[in-house]
Amino acid sequence: MTQHDENQHEPIAISERQLTQMTTHLEEAHQATLPVMHQAVAEWDDRLRSENTPDELAEMRAKFGRPSRRGFLIGAGATLGGLVLAACSSDDDSTSSGSSSSDTKASANSALATDLKIAALAAALENTAVATYQAGIDAATAGQLGTVPPAIVTFATTAQQQHKDHAAAWNAIITGAGKPAVDGIDITVNDGLVQPEFAKVTDVAGLAKLALALEDAAAATYLSVIPVVSDPGGVKTAATIQPVEMQHSAILNFVLGQYPVPNAFAKTDGARTLSDKIG
Amino acid sequence: MTIDERELAELTQRSRDVHADAMHEAREPLAEIVEVGREQRSRNELDPEVGRVFATKRNARLGKGLGLLGGVGIGAAILGLFERPAFAGKASDIQMLQTAASIEVLAIAAYDAVLGLPFAGDLPAVVQTFVTTTKDQHAEHLQAFNAAAKALGGAEQTMADPALAPVVEQAKPGLTGPGPVLDLAILLEDTAAQTYVANVGALEDENAKKVTASIMGVEAQHVSVLLAVKALLDGGLVDQIALPPSDLGALPAAAGAVGFPNAFYPTELAAPADQGAVK
Repeated sequence: MTQHDENQHEPIAISERQLTQMTTHLEEAHQATLPVMHQAVAEWDDRLRSENTPDELAEMRAKFGRPSRRGFLIGAGATLGGLVLAACSSDDDSTSSGSSSSDTKASANSALATDLKIAALAAALENTAVATYQAGIDAATAGQLGTVPPAIVTFATTAQQQHKDHAAAWNAIITGAGKPAVDGIDITVNDGLVQPEFAKVTDVAGLAKLALALEDAAAATYLSVIPVVSDPGGVKTAATIQPVEMQHSAILNFVLGQYPVPNAFAKTDGARTLSDKIG
Repeated sequence: MTIDERELAELTQRSRDVHADAMHEAREPLAEIVEVGREQRSRNELDPEVGRVFATKRNARLGKGLGLLGGVGIGAAILGLFERPAFAGKASDIQMLQTAASIEVLAIAAYDAVLGLPFAGDLPAVVQTFVTTTKDQHAEHLQAFNAAAKALGGAEQTMADPALAPVVEQAKPGLTGPGPVLDLAILLEDTAAQTYVANVGALEDENAKKVTASIMGVEAQHVSVLLAVKALLDGGLVDQIALPPSDLGALPAAAGAVGFPNAFYPTELAAPADQGAVK
C-alpha cells in the first residue's frame, strides 16, 4: 500500500460490505438480547405485584402517577430526578411510620425505595451520556472538530443509541413502580465534568477523552450498585449493561492509542452516588 | 508495522501498574469472603441448634439409613445445614465460582496454545501483546475465583471446563491462521462474559457477586478487541491493527460499532452453574 487516498477505495469497498454484513448480524444478535432485559424488568414488576396488594399498587400510582410527569418538569423549579428521589424517600418515611405495616414489609419497601433511587441515578447517567454524544455529533456536523473519521461517527451514534436503550430499561422499571420516568440528566456530572471538559474539546481525541470519562463513570457506578440493589431483576439489568459500557471504554481507549483492556478487574473509582443532583 | 514498540511497551507497563491497583481493590471483597467463610465454618461446627434441626428433620426426610449420623456432631451439623436455604445458596455459589474457574483454566491453556502456534510470531505486535496480557489477566481471574470458592468452603478448581475443553481440542487442528484463532478466542471470551453476567444475577453471597461482577466486563472488553481485530483482518486492513491506530480516517464506517454489538450483554451462551464444578 502506498498512499491511502489512492488505494483505499477498493479494499474499503470490500471491507465495508463485509463489515456491514457483520453489523447486520450483530444487530440481529442485539435484538435477540432484548428479551433478556425485558425479562429482568418483568421480574421487577412481578415483585412489585407480589409484595403489594392491588389497592397498594393503585395507591402508589395515584401518589406518584405518570400523568403529572410534565407538571413535575416545569413545576416550582424542582428537578424531575429530585422528585423521583424524593418520592422514593417518601416511601421510606411512610413505611417507617405506617402503623399497619410489619417490620418485614417496611424493610422490603425500604429496599425497594433504594432500588428505585439507584434506577433513577442510572437513568440520569444514561441520559447524560446520550446528551453528550448528541452534543459531540452536533459539533462534528458543524465542523467544529475538524475532520471526523466515519468510524468515529458510527461509534458515537451506536453508543448513543445503546445508552438510550439503557435509559429506557431503567425507566421501564421506574414507571413500572408507578413513578414518573427520569428524562433529566445527572446535573452533578454535567456541571462538574461534561460542561467544563466539552468547552475544551476541539477535535475527535478531546471528545473521545470526555466520552471515555463518562463511560468509565457509568461502568464504575453499575459495578458499585450491583451488590446494593436488592431486586434480582435490578441486579440483572445492571449486570447486562455494565459490560457494554466497558466495551465502549475499550474502543475509546483504542481510539486514543491507549491499551484497550487496562485492568484485569473492573474498578469502582469514579462511581456516582445517590447524592448526585438529577434534573 | 506502524506500531511504536517502545510506546507499546510503556503502555503495557502502565497497564500493569493500573492492574496492580485494581488487584488491590479485588482483594478487599476476597478478604471479606474469607472472613465470612471462617465465621460460617465456625458456626457450622459449634452451633448446637444446627444439630437440633438435623435431629428434627432426619426421621422425616432422610429415614433410618442416615440415622447413624445423628450421633455424630459434625455430620449432623453438615446434613442439618443442607436444610437451610442459606447453605443451598452457598453450595450453588461455590459451583458457579468453580465453573468460572474452570473456564479461566481453559482460557489460559487456549492462549498458551496460541502463543505456541508456528505463525504466532507473525501476528501484529499489538495482537501478540494482547494475547500475553489477556492470558495474564485470566490467570488473575482464576486466582480470584478459586480464592472466592475456597473462602466459601469449596475446593479450588484446577481443571478445564469439561464441556468447553473438547471444543477447544477439536478446533486446534484448524488453527492454521489468525482467523480461526480469533474465532476460538471470541467464543471462549464471550462464553466467559455471558456466564459471569448470568452468575451475577444468581449468586447469593455478596462478595462472590462483587468478584464476578468485577471480572465480567473485562471479558466483554476482550470480546470487543477480538471482534474489532477480526473485522479489520477480514477487511484486509491489517495495517490498521496498531496502537495507536495508524489512520482512523482509513477505517470503514461500520468498524466503529463492530466491537459492541449488543446494548444488553446476552446470556444464552452462559454455562450452567455446575458445568465446571469440582466433582
